[in-house]
Order: sequence, then C-alpha cells, then structure tokens
Amino acid sequence: MVPMENYLILSAIVFSLGVYGVLARRNAVLVLMSVELMLNAVSLNFIAFATYLDPDRILGAIFAVFVITVAAAEVGLALAIVIRLFRSRSTSNVDEAAILKW
Amino acid sequence: MSFYDTWSAVLIATIAGFTLVFTALVATKLLAPYARERAKGVSYECGMLPIGRNWSQIHVRYYLLAILFLIFDVETVFIFPWAVTLGADVPLFVFYEMLVFIGVLVLGLGYAWKRGVLEWK
Amino acid sequence: MSDLDIVGPQLAVLVAAAAVLLVDALIPQHRRIVPFVALAGLALSAAWTLSWVARDDYQTAFEGTLSLDKFSVFFYFLFAGITATVVLASIDWVNRAGRGQGEYYALVLTSCAGLMFLSASRDLITIYVALELSSIPQYILAGWGKDNRSSEAGLKYLLLGAVASSILLYGMALLYGLTGTTMLDGIADAIAADGESHRSLLVLASVLLIAGFGFKMAVVPFQMWVPDVYQGAPTPVAAYLSVGSKAAAFAVVLRIFFEALGEGFLSDDWSTVFAVLAAVSMTVGNVMAVVQTDIKRMLGYSSIAQAGNFMVGLAAISVSGEEFTLGASSVLVFLAAYAFTNLGAFIAVIAISQRIGSDQIKDYAGMWKRSPVLALALAFCLVSLTGIPPTAGFWAKMYIFNAGIRADLAWLVIIGVLNSVISGYYYLSVARQMFLGDAEGADRVRVSPSIGLSLGVATLGVLVFGILPTPLISAAKDAAEIFSRQ
Repeated sequence: MVPMENYLILSAIVFSLGVYGVLARRNAVLVLMSVELMLNAVSLNFIAFATYLDPDRILGAIFAVFVITVAAAEVGLALAIVIRLFRSRSTSNVDEAAILKW
Repeated sequence: MSFYDTWSAVLIATIAGFTLVFTALVATKLLAPYARERAKGVSYECGMLPIGRNWSQIHVRYYLLAILFLIFDVETVFIFPWAVTLGADVPLFVFYEMLVFIGVLVLGLGYAWKRGVLEWK
Repeated sequence: MSDLDIVGPQLAVLVAAAAVLLVDALIPQHRRIVPFVALAGLALSAAWTLSWVARDDYQTAFEGTLSLDKFSVFFYFLFAGITATVVLASIDWVNRAGRGQGEYYALVLTSCAGLMFLSASRDLITIYVALELSSIPQYILAGWGKDNRSSEAGLKYLLLGAVASSILLYGMALLYGLTGTTMLDGIADAIAADGESHRSLLVLASVLLIAGFGFKMAVVPFQMWVPDVYQGAPTPVAAYLSVGSKAAAFAVVLRIFFEALGEGFLSDDWSTVFAVLAAVSMTVGNVMAVVQTDIKRMLGYSSIAQAGNFMVGLAAISVSGEEFTLGASSVLVFLAAYAFTNLGAFIAVIAISQRIGSDQIKDYAGMWKRSPVLALALAFCLVSLTGIPPTAGFWAKMYIFNAGIRADLAWLVIIGVLNSVISGYYYLSVARQMFLGDAEGADRVRVSPSIGLSLGVATLGVLVFGILPTPLISAAKDAAEIFSRQ
C-alpha cells in the first residue's frame, strides 16, 4: 500500500496550486478552475482518510460525492454569470469586469 | 504482492506506449514525402476555400447547453451508489427515494423547457 | 415518517418554493399572488415549528444528522421572520424589475430552507450541504439586478464564496481524518479521548473552519466581498445577506465550536482567535464606515463591525460552571436584535432610495421634511445599531459585553465600547443629515403598503425588545441550554 502521507502531501500540493491560481489569475474562468483544483484536493483528502482510517470507509466517500455535485452546481452558476457579463461587456477578465474593486 | 508488483504492469504499458508513438513519429518524419505549399495551411485541402479565420469563437448558446448538461450529468453520481446497493438487502423505501430524486430533476427540466431555456434562438 | 415531521418546517418552505415556481409558470395572469404564496409557506413553517414547541418533544432525525432542539427552534422562528420581512420588502422592487418573479421568491425561500437546515445540522456533511443550499441561491440573488454592477457582485460573491467553502472543507477533512467521524458528538468524544496528542492539527482544523465560516460571518480579514456585494446587489437582497446568512453562520459556528470542539484545551486556543478577530473586525469595520458616502456601503462596513460584536460572545466561552452558556445565549440575543434593527435600516433605505433614486448619504438631507415616518424609523434603527436605550440594540450590547466581562475579556469590552462611540459618530451623522439638512427636492417621499408593513414590523420589534427584553433573553437562554455540561 502507498502510505497515507503521500496522498495527504499530494492533496496539500494541489490545494496550494489552487490557492496560487486564485490569487494570481484575473480571468474569472481561470479563477473558477483554480477553485475546482482546491475542491478536488479536498475530495482526495476525504477519500484518503476514508480508505485508511474509517473502518466503514463510507463517510469520506459520501462527503466527496457531495463535494463533486455541489462544485458542479457552482461551476454551472459561475459560467452563467460570466456569460451574462460577457454578453454586455465582451470580457471575462475579473480585472476588466470590475467597477467594484476586487 | 508488493506495491511495485502491482504497478509494474502500468510501468510497462507506459514505456510501450511512449516507444510506439515515438517510433511512429520518427518513421513518418523519415519516410513520408512532404510538400511545403500555401494550400497546405488552409482548413480543408479540397473543396471550397474557407472564408474568414479558422479560429472562430464557439457561440455563447453552446455554453448554456453545456451548463445544463453538466448539471444533469453530475447528478448521476448519486445514482451509481444507489444502483449498486439496490441488489443488496435494502428496504423498498430506498427505491422510491431515488424515484423522488429523479422526479425532482425531471420537474426541473420540465420547468426549464416551459421557460424556453432549451429553445435554439 | 417522523423524520419528515421533524424537518417539517424546512419542507413547508421548500414546498412553498416549488408552489411559487408553478404558480408563476402555469398561471402567469395571477402572478400577483406569488409573494403571498411565499408568505403563506413561511407562516406554515412557523406554525409547524410552533407545533413542535407545543409538543415539547425534541429529537433528532435522519440518524442524528439533524437535531430539532430549542436552539434550532429559536433559529427557525428567526429565519422565518427574516425571510417574511425580506419578501414583503422585495415586492415593489421585484415588480419593477418585471421579470422572473417566481424565480426570485423561490430562490429566497430555498435559501431560507438552507439556513434552517444549517441551524439544525449536527453532522459535517449535512452542514456543508445546507451551507451550499443557502449560499447558491444567494449568489444568484446578488446578481439579480439588471446592471453589470449586480452581475459582478454575484460573480465576486460566488468566486470568493467557493474559495471560502473549499477552505472550510479542508478543515472538515482534517477534522474527519483526526476523529474518524463527521458527527459533532462523535468528534467531541474522539477529542475527549485522545485529542491532546493531535493538538496542533486540531488547532489548524479550527483555524481553517474559522476562515471558512468567517467569510459568511463577514469578519475581518474575510470581509473584502461585503461592501462591494452589498452595494452591487439589489437592496432587498443585501438586507437578506446582512442578517440571514450572518445569523446562520453564527448558529453553525456555535454548534461546531461549543459542541464538537468545546474541549477545554482546544477552546482556550480558539477563543483567543475569536477575541482577536472580534477586536480587529470592530475596529476596521467602524473606521472604514466613517469615510463612506454611499449608505449601502456604510451599512456593509457597519455589518462587519457588528460581526465583531457578535464574536465577543464566541470568545467568552471560557466562562466556566453554570454560566458556561452565557456567551452563546448573548450571541443569540444579539443576533435577534440585530436582525430586526438591520432589516429596519435596510428597508428604510429601500423605501427612500426607490423614490429619490440615490444611495448617497448627502441626498438624505432633509428627509425629515419629505417623509417624517421614514426618517424617524431609519434614525431609530441607527440608534439601535449604536446601542443606545430604549432599543433592542442596547440590551444586546449590554448582554454581550457582560458575557465578555465575566470571561475576563475586559480589554475586548473596552475596545468594544470605544468602537460603539466611533459607530455612534457615523450612524448619528446620517440622522443629523436627515433632521437638520436642507431638503433637495420638496416632493414628499411616499411608502408603498408592503414596505410600510415590513418596516413597521422591524421597527416595532426593535422597540418592543428595547422596552421588554426579558422574553427574548429567556428564549435565548433556553436555546443556549443545549450546550451546557453537567
């Protein structure tokens, strides 16, 4: 078996990449993709914990399933708002789209 | 079986894959004839000449359909575990529970339809 | 069946949401009744909650993930009241916006059901799903306006909200990994058994949870979305965000931290974090509010400062013995008083800005002559936000600072009192503009019946709890009883 620490380290790295993307990217769609990275890192954490620690191996998996669906709903909504902004502004950059400062 | 035994097959498959692709690429480079002409650069080598740039943007309405697809697609993640456990010893209530869930989804789809979201306009 | 009976209050709200959509889609000629269907659903929900109070039979549902207890009942009533007031206050605005009437009220109701689930959940998975159930409709509502500014507010709220919830999830994952369960009582047991050995990781998990919920509570340093979203979102939605999602976030934080992470060695650490955040939020919120010229932005910063006041109650957990729940009950009192007061202030702003077409504080000059009732109501709510008697805000501040003193947080209470003085400056300068300034236009500002009714309910609540605070305080004490330890 791969030791659990490997999964946790991988998840921490992916999560940090996501945080970097959120802070560094100005395009709304790219920020969204970075958020997805963070959420997937968390799902990985849950599944690793479920497999290694939880005798029933079920709670973490359930949590991951809910994270995936909620993330899909958020992406759908965010894309819808971006399209709306894009139609009136022809831009999807968070910076350019900011009358309200970030 | 140790960790490395289980993954050695993956390693072999990876190496084989890379080798095959690499050989194929090198072989084409060496063997195939190559004509450097302007006509090579157009989108279709035969037929009509294309008008405009080949970097066209995907129309916004595709995104709407993509969003709808995404939402309904991901809901199946709840159906898979349900389908797996259904054969086991679970009460009939579980079966109807999923029917209610799908019913809510269908209602949502019907509502979107009624609202004209699915119209191609 | 009894499980469904226990979640009846939420089901009533969700069914009302579906009914609103159906009425809007199938009989568009009777669209006017849509908000009243929503109100009926909320009334049904409150009646159902009342029936549980009458039955006095508190229990848990769905294998312990949802708990019907005095704490959740307190919040059921609070959320039903908040949502009903917001629906009333929205009628005018939604009619003028002219589209998607059904969707608007359905989203408000769905979000309300999410808030109710949130206050009742005792399991990390349920908490997460309830949080998103309440948040996603709020993202849409924030972007409901026609202008780009509103869409941007929605997008910004959504992106930052998604980041916050992924940080929250990381904390939950750590907690699950350390304890092997997602149930709050199971987590408490596991920490009591051998929590000391993972102390640093538990503290890390608590900090991540505080960061995730801090976004919803709108405390510094997770507050950057507040003024922009409040300004960009439609005003009724801003009113809803400022009280509803904040109250629910505090409810769930009380549950998680008092119930699951209340173990002595751990609570010392996080109560310090809360104390520091409280001091910083109060100060930053108030100082920033002073320089605002837009009243919605000002209320946004003031709500950050008020969140700092709430946190004094969270930091006061170190009170021991019989008074262990004092901090929790003071948060509940403050939440209820703040809900009435802030709703009242926002509704007055809706009424005024609909007529004068501006959110600038300088345009409020002479409002006393144009509409004495509105000016008085707004001034009264601002007085309550400052914490001057005879208002609900006064008792709330007294009670929460009292909890702070009992918990040996005198330094924090002193900062809080100083901040109240700063807040008095900018709250009362709006009142001064309204009463002493010269009116720009001579025309009178009229109020529609629905807005008048909601404003009346809110200000009456502030006044009644200002004169008779005892029922509210005893209800909050009862609700906080669930955290007591023998």
